[in-house]
Amino acid sequence: MNELVRLDRVHKYYRMGHSSVHALDGVSFTIGEGEYVAIMGASGSGKSTLLNLLGCLDRPSEGAYLIGGQDVSGLNDSQLSDIRGRHIGFVFQSFNLIGQLTVLANIEIPLFYQGVPRSQRHAHSQELAELVGLGDRVTHRPTELSGGQQQRVALARAMANDPLLILADEPTGNLDSHTTGEILALFDTLWARGRTIITVTHEDHVAERTERIIHLVDGQIDSDVRTGRTVESLT
Amino acid sequence: MKAIYKVTDTLLLGLHSISVHKFRSFLTALGILFGVWSVIAMLAINEGASYESQQALREMGTDNLIAESIKPPPEESSAARERGAMSYGLTHDDVRSLADNIPGVLRYVTVHRTEKSAQRGRRSIHVQVLGTSPTYLEMARLRLTAGRFLSPADGIRARNCCVITQSLGRRLFTYEDPIGQTLRLDGDSFVVIGLVAEPSRSFAGITAEMINNLVFVPRETDVERFGRYTILRTGSSSMMELVQVSQVILQMASEEAVIEGAKIARSLLVRRHDKTDYEVTVPLELIEQRRKQRRLWNIVFFFIASVSLVVGGIGIMNVMLASVNERIREIGIRRALGAKRRDIVVQFLVEAVTLTTVGGLMGIAVGMLVPVIVEKVLKLKTIISAPTVVLPFIMAVVVGLVSGLYPAKRAADLDPIRALRHE
Repeated sequence: MNELVRLDRVHKYYRMGHSSVHALDGVSFTIGEGEYVAIMGASGSGKSTLLNLLGCLDRPSEGAYLIGGQDVSGLNDSQLSDIRGRHIGFVFQSFNLIGQLTVLANIEIPLFYQGVPRSQRHAHSQELAELVGLGDRVTHRPTELSGGQQQRVALARAMANDPLLILADEPTGNLDSHTTGEILALFDTLWARGRTIITVTHEDHVAERTERIIHLVDGQIDSDVRTGRTVESLT
Repeated sequence: MKAIYKVTDTLLLGLHSISVHKFRSFLTALGILFGVWSVIAMLAINEGASYESQQALREMGTDNLIAESIKPPPEESSAARERGAMSYGLTHDDVRSLADNIPGVLRYVTVHRTEKSAQRGRRSIHVQVLGTSPTYLEMARLRLTAGRFLSPADGIRARNCCVITQSLGRRLFTYEDPIGQTLRLDGDSFVVIGLVAEPSRSFAGITAEMINNLVFVPRETDVERFGRYTILRTGSSSMMELVQVSQVILQMASEEAVIEGAKIARSLLVRRHDKTDYEVTVPLELIEQRRKQRRLWNIVFFFIASVSLVVGGIGIMNVMLASVNERIREIGIRRALGAKRRDIVVQFLVEAVTLTTVGGLMGIAVGMLVPVIVEKVLKLKTIISAPTVVLPFIMAVVVGLVSGLYPAKRAADLDPIRALRHE
């Protein structure tokens, strides 16, 4: 299995007034291509910080972060934006769709910033909308959709730029149990298609659907275990 | 290629954001509209007014140097009485001195004015009789509308013939063709040989209300029949005036000669006259003055009108700041999905510039309409030139850029992580 993500003794400090918070304290791990990993931990354990780093929204204070073999820990704002736009797909707890845009326009956003011509964007976004089962809703506004449907749109959007890594932040946190099942099934589909997925969650039943759970306590890795689930077992 | 897609798409995005808040955008654009139309309207009216006045001056001839006798203030004139008549103004000696001392004089022509009554049957009209030479028609830019002007032969034989203004002809002869008819001046009969259009501007001390009642006669006839005196009637009393030359027009070889000649003429006449009973008029100088005035007024109007553009710009900045505040979350999302700081700056700048462009285009439409209405209703001439339209428009776009810059920068400098969590 090819290595996709490597964290090497990553530290993150935040300055809070006069004191400094040590949010990540020497975290190291690697994630291979096609892996489906859950990151768990109590609030304040550093999992949000880790997610921001993995998503290139932030830089480590110390240590190295390599994605696809490229060290991104020293990149500037513009370069990080570029990495996000090309290699990372985000799924958020609160969906984070833009209300004024149609479903199709929302899915297109990452392609827009990559400078993909409009006709190509439309065609690709339509395909993705169909993949998540919303091919007939592309002209709707997000507010006209249910929560589950909105999260599907967000998933389609996360796939739009064909990313190396899909990062999900409590993707089912705002959904009822029925739609949670639907969304988790969709994650399985993406996993089966060879996607690398990292999901941050505090819910056991979400974490159990992955193949590997990394537990954070006080900014350090407490455990890193296999769930026994494999991509082969899906079929 | 990538860049071009981005530009057109960002433009569409800007238009979309504006269309989401139609009313707010319209109000904002309105501020720019007023700024642009007021600049255009003011410049157009100013250009028109100055064109009109310059045109009137141009009719006087840009190669001409004109000197005219004017009545001096009463306290000065009381001393200069000659046999009960008031004597003032330019003399034949003055004219000779001007012609001899000013370089570049091609030719000159003099006018002697007297006031008389012109009679036709029982009709009598107070007129200005002007004794002059055949060249006056051309040098004073008079327009002959019928018959002919005075000829050299008319002068040599001191014929009793005259050329009159059209409206005088209409009033004296009503239904008849004035050409070939006779009118009486001081008991002498004069044959009308031609008609001229009324001059657009008064001259030689002729009051504006008398400008339509002109009778041109040969200089020699004037001297023989009427002498050198003119009798002025003021109310019940009448008064004699002695003026040798009412007006002299010197035609100069070039425009440089006009400017130089004007200086010499002024210094010559100052030395020859102890009171200001003359006036030197140089159309070219006046045109230059008007041009400078126009430029000055253009600048003044431009700045006054620009104030409203600046106010419009403040409105744009306000709306853009509100728009940024409302869309913090959206900005966070866009940043997370790959938008660079520059993309965000461009997005908001495009929005601001689109607003001002729309406002500017509406301003051009209204701004071009207003001068047309002014022309129709107020009968003022207006001129809309390309710079009058383009300049305010460019300014509007610049105002959009400047007022959009700060909000756009604020949007781009938001921390993506915080922006994403913004409620």
